[in-house]
Amino acid sequence: MSRVIFGHVKSGINTVRKTKLRSFWMMLGVVIGVASVITVVAIGNGIKQQISGQIHHMGKNLITVHPAQLQADSTKGSNGLSLLSGLTTSGPLTAKDISAVERVPGVAASAPLTITNGTVSGENGRYKDGFVIGTTPDLASLLNQSLEYGVFLTPNDEGTNAAVLGQHAADALFNTDVPLGRSFTFHGERFIVKGIFNQFDATPLSQQLDYNNAIFIPNDVSERLTKNTAPTYEILVRPNSEDQTEAVAANIRKALDKTHGGQSGFAVLTGNQNLTTSNSILSLLTKLIAGVAAISLLVSGIGIMNVMLVSVSERKHEIGIRKAVGATNRQILGQFMVESSVLSLWGGLIGVGLSYLINIVLRIFTDLKPSISWEIVVLATGISLLVGVVFGTIPALKAARKDPIEALRSE
Amino acid sequence: MALIELEDVSKLYGFGDATTLALDEVNLSIEKGEFVAVMGPSGCGKSTLMNMIGLLDRPSHGTYRFEGKGVSRLRPNQAAKIRRDKIGFIFQSFNLLPRLTALENVALPLTYKGMSSTRRLKLASQMLDRVGIQSREYFLPGQLSGGQAQCAAIARALVNNPKLIIADEPTGNLDSASSRLVMELLADIHKMGNTILFVTHNPELTRYATRVVYMHDGTIIHDEKTALGQVATTARKVLYTLPATSEEDDLAGVSALMKALPDKPAVRRKRKKSVAKAKPTTRRKPVRGKRS
Repeated sequence: MSRVIFGHVKSGINTVRKTKLRSFWMMLGVVIGVASVITVVAIGNGIKQQISGQIHHMGKNLITVHPAQLQADSTKGSNGLSLLSGLTTSGPLTAKDISAVERVPGVAASAPLTITNGTVSGENGRYKDGFVIGTTPDLASLLNQSLEYGVFLTPNDEGTNAAVLGQHAADALFNTDVPLGRSFTFHGERFIVKGIFNQFDATPLSQQLDYNNAIFIPNDVSERLTKNTAPTYEILVRPNSEDQTEAVAANIRKALDKTHGGQSGFAVLTGNQNLTTSNSILSLLTKLIAGVAAISLLVSGIGIMNVMLVSVSERKHEIGIRKAVGATNRQILGQFMVESSVLSLWGGLIGVGLSYLINIVLRIFTDLKPSISWEIVVLATGISLLVGVVFGTIPALKAARKDPIEALRSE
Repeated sequence: MALIELEDVSKLYGFGDATTLALDEVNLSIEKGEFVAVMGPSGCGKSTLMNMIGLLDRPSHGTYRFEGKGVSRLRPNQAAKIRRDKIGFIFQSFNLLPRLTALENVALPLTYKGMSSTRRLKLASQMLDRVGIQSREYFLPGQLSGGQAQCAAIARALVNNPKLIIADEPTGNLDSASSRLVMELLADIHKMGNTILFVTHNPELTRYATRVVYMHDGTIIHDEKTALGQVATTARKVLYTLPATSEEDDLAGVSALMKALPDKPAVRRKRKKSVAKAKPTTRRKPVRGKRS
C-alpha cells in the first residue's frame, strides 16, 4: 500500500510539473496565506523581543509611574482590549507627585519626563519632529544609556539653559557632526548643547517615546518656561536594590495615593509588569491579524477545491483508463487526495520561503526585526497540508465515483 | 469449465420511455484459449458486451460466470481487482495516458498491485521488448505512431499476465500495415495460450480468429468456428461481394454483413421464441456505443 501511495505522490508531483500555470494559481492562495500568517506572527514576536530587550536594557528593577490607569492585570486574565483603550486616557502627574516619589524610602534615583510644548529653532530652522522633555540628572543612569559626546545634565545645570540631544534631534537641528556648545532657541531662550546620546534602540509599537528625537532640558527650566503646565508623561524610579522593587513600587503607590487624595489617576509599574502589558497587547494584535491571515488560508482551500474539480472533469478519460486497468475507487480517491495535498504542501513550503524573504526585506528596510519561530513554520505548513486534504476530499470523491465506461467514452 | 459463461444476460439503459435494450438475453460461453472475433453493425451491443465481459459494466439481468465464479453482482472494488489481475484491455483509441511515457503506461496496472517501482518498470520493459518497441520506452504516446501506440497498449494489457484479453476494435484507428502488425501480435499471444476476445468491422481479420460471433440488435445471431488463417465463411461472403448494400439498405441502416448472413441461421431460429416474448414491438434505435 505504501508503494501505491508513493506512486500517488510521484504522480502528484508530475501533475504539478506538467500543469505549471494552473498549479501556480492554485497554490498562490496557500502561498500568500502561509506567508502572511508566518510574517505577521514573526513581526509580533520580533517586537515582543525588542521590547523585552529594551526593558532588560533598562533593568528589570526600573519602576515607571504613568498617569492614568494603565494596568497590567495579567493575573486577572486581562483581555488586552481594556489595555488598548487605557493607553489613550490620561491624567496629570504634577510636580507634587515628582517630589513625593523622590521622598519615598528605598528610592535610589528618580527622574520625571515632562513633555514641554513649544517651538524649537536650530541652525536648520524649526525642528518639527521632536519634542522637548524636562528631566533631572538621574535620567541617564535610569535609562542605562551612555552619551556619544559630552556629558548629561548635572545637578549644577539645574536652572540653566543646558540641553542634551538624541541623535536624530542633533542631526535635524545642526549641520555639524558634533554640535557640542552650539545653541538653539526654545520659548525665546537660548539653550546650549551639552551632550548627545548614543542611538537608542528603536522599538516599534512600544509605549516608550523614541528618545532619539528628544531634547532633554532640566525639569525646573521646563517648569519655569511653561509655568508648571507641562504634563509629566512618566516618572522613572530605581529602587536601592532589586529585591525591593515590588515593595518600593507599593510605597510609591501609597505616597501618590496620598498626594492624589485617594484618586487613582496614575499607575505604578515594575519592569516585569511593563513587559506583560506590552506583551498582552501585542499578543492580541498578532492573534487578530494572524486570524485574518488564517482565514485567507481557508479561502485558498476553496480555490484548491475548484481547481481540483476542474482537473477531475478534465481528466475524466484518464480516470476511465486507470479504472479499466484495475484501479479501485479507493486508489483513485487516494491519487487525487495526494495530488491536492502535494499541491497545497508545495504552496505552503513556497509560502515559508517567501516569508523568510519578507523577513529579510523587513529587516533591511524597516526598524522591525521579525523573528520566525520553527513552531509557526511547522504549524503553517501543517495547516496548508490539512487544507489540501480537507478541500481535496470532495473532488477526489467525485473522481473515485466516476463510472468507468462513461469516463472512458469521454475525450 | 468455460472461462466465460453468459446466461440470459440483458442490459438496459435509461428509464421509462427512453429505455434502450443494449443486450437482449445473450447466451455465450467462451472456452480458455479461444480467439473470438465479434462482428456486427454499429450499435448492435458489441461494446456493451465487451464492457460486460470485462467487468466494467454489470448486467441488468442474467448471470455472468468468470472462471466459474458468479461476477454479475460484484461491487466496484472487487470488479476492479479482477480487472487488474485477470483481464487486459486494448482499445480502439489506444487510451494511453498522454503524460506518462510508454514504459510508465505499460507499468500502470502493476502500480495498482502495489509492486515496487523498479520491479514494475523492469517487467514493463520486458513486455515492451516482447511487442517489439523497447526502443521507444521513454517516448510519450504522442510521439509514437499509431501502430507503436497500439503495441504499447497491448503490452499494457499483457503486463499483468491476464487470463483474458479484450480488444475493442484494436485496428480501428490503424492503417493496414499496422493492423497486420497488431493482429500478428495478438495471434502470437493467442499461441501462448491466452484467451482473446476482439471486436472488428473488418471481415479480413477473422482469419486470425478461431471463432466468429455475429451480433445484431443486442443478440447473437450467428456463431461459427473457423480454422486459423481462414476468413470465416460468412464473413467471406461480405468480403467478396462488397459493396453489397444498396442506397435503400444504407437508409435503413442494414450493413453488408447482414446481407451476407445465411438466410436462416440456426442460432437465429432458436432465439426467435424468446425474442418474440421479450422484444418490445417498437424498433429500438441504437443510442449508445456509437463507436462500436
